[in-house]
This record gives sequence, C-alpha cells and structure tokens, in this order.
Amino acid sequence: MPTIFVLDVPEFQPLVDHARGLSGCSVQGPRLGYWRVARAGALEFQRKALGLKPAVWHGALTGGMVGRITHFDNDRLVVEEA
Amino acid sequence: MNTIPIAGVHHTARPTWKLGETVHFYRDLLGLPLVHAISARGWGPEEHADFLHFFFDSGNGSTIAFFYYIGTQPPEFVTVRDDYRYRASHTAWRVETREQLLECRAKVEAAGIPLKYQIRHEVIESIYFDDPNGYSLEVTWQVRPFEQIDREDAARTLAAAIALEQQDFTRIDQVWSTKGAMLDAEFAGHGEAA
Repeated sequence: MPTIFVLDVPEFQPLVDHARGLSGCSVQGPRLGYWRVARAGALEFQRKALGLKPAVWHGALTGGMVGRITHFDNDRLVVEEA
Repeated sequence: MNTIPIAGVHHTARPTWKLGETVHFYRDLLGLPLVHAISARGWGPEEHADFLHFFFDSGNGSTIAFFYYIGTQPPEFVTVRDDYRYRASHTAWRVETREQLLECRAKVEAAGIPLKYQIRHEVIESIYFDDPNGYSLEVTWQVRPFEQIDREDAARTLAAAIALEQQDFTRIDQVWSTKGAMLDAEFAGHGEAA
C-alpha cells in the first residue's frame, strides 16, 4: 500500500492534516518521530491546497516512502503502488 | 559523542581582487565594522604574493575576512560562475527575528544591492544577495530550534544516502524508498510503544 512517513514537525504538519481528511487513508503515530500515512491505490497531495512553500514541498517525502512516485511537479504529488 | 571544543565561527575567508569595492560593500553599504587588517610580505614555503588580510565584524564574535594578493591576477579556479554548484559555497548570517530579516532586506535594497531571492525553507527563511566579488551571501532567520527529532531524522536520511552512494545513486527517490522501508519495518515492530 502506498505509504509516506511524515516527520512530526510543524513544517510538514499540513501533509498529515490533509491525509486525515482523505477517504480510506490511515494515519498512525507519531511513532519514532514520524506519522505513517497509508492509503490503498494512491496518495495524492497538492501544494497550493496545503499551503506549502516550494522549498518545503520539494522535500515533502524526506521522511521516507513505500511505493512509487508517479507524478511530482510544482503543485501535485502522487505516490502509488511500487 | 566526542566533540571538539569549538564555540561558533571566528571567520570565513576568501580571496578578492576588488579591494576598494569589497571594503565599500561590507563596511559602508552593509555597515560591518572593519576590525582588523594584516599587511605582510609574502612568506611561507611557496612563492607567495605580498598580501592584505582584513576582517569585518559580522556579529556575535564572528567575522568575514578577505585576502588581497598584491600584483596578482585571479586564477582560473576562482572564476565566478552563474551555477547553483558555485553558489553552494556561501556565507549565511543569522538574525534572531523575522522583523530583523525584513529590516536587512530593506537595508540591502536601500543600499542599491540587488536582492536575488527571499525563500522560506523548512526551518529557516532567508534573503540572498551577492557581494562585488560574486560571492553569495545569505541572511537567515531560524523559525524553530533544531530538536532531537531533527537529529534522528538527519541520521536516518544520511545513513540511507551513504548506503546508496556506492551504488547507482541517481535520484532522491532512492533515499526516500530506503528510508521508508527501514521505517516501515521499525514502525511495525514498535507496536504500542509510541
């Protein structure tokens, strides 16, 4: 299942907040300093909707991921099954 | 962990072939006091030009220093290049508040120095501009202190990247996947001990 790990710090919190509102999305944690965000099918985020500045957005997956990035540009990020 | 007993930056130093412009920029435009200058005959084991070595106070005990090698021309290896890899070498000064960052920006612009960027990063927000030598300068405000969580995350990221360094390391996705696989296993094993 596509999964991302989000470091539990303020600058990445919008990712977690958004994930909580996604249907079928599991948000666990924080454990070991990370939120584990997983969703069957695809995890999708949009930068402007999250209010992330570009420098933060392009490091949005720095916590780690399980899956494959199928789209990542200046505004849209999609992680799907590997 | 063993640490060497250091207490911050004393100086960074670079060569300049623009003596007057450099002093004017740092002392007069930015207002950094000129606090020390050495003038000397060239000395040492190699053929060394006579030189000046001078220091500007950049606050909190730190200085930024320059060498001026008299009668020399800049060698090819110091040629300024408009390239992010060149700009990777830079000096970043600290301010304590966002208001001070904006004050710096206003003063830089008022002095007629072209401001290149203002960027909000993960934990810092910075302004960027160049000195007359083409050296990159940054003024930065750190939004929050680095915590233990940042140290542990940094260790995981670098461990993943170092393991990849000896392989076919071409994309950051490889680091994220390596880290993700490690964390997924740890997360599962960590159970209720959140």
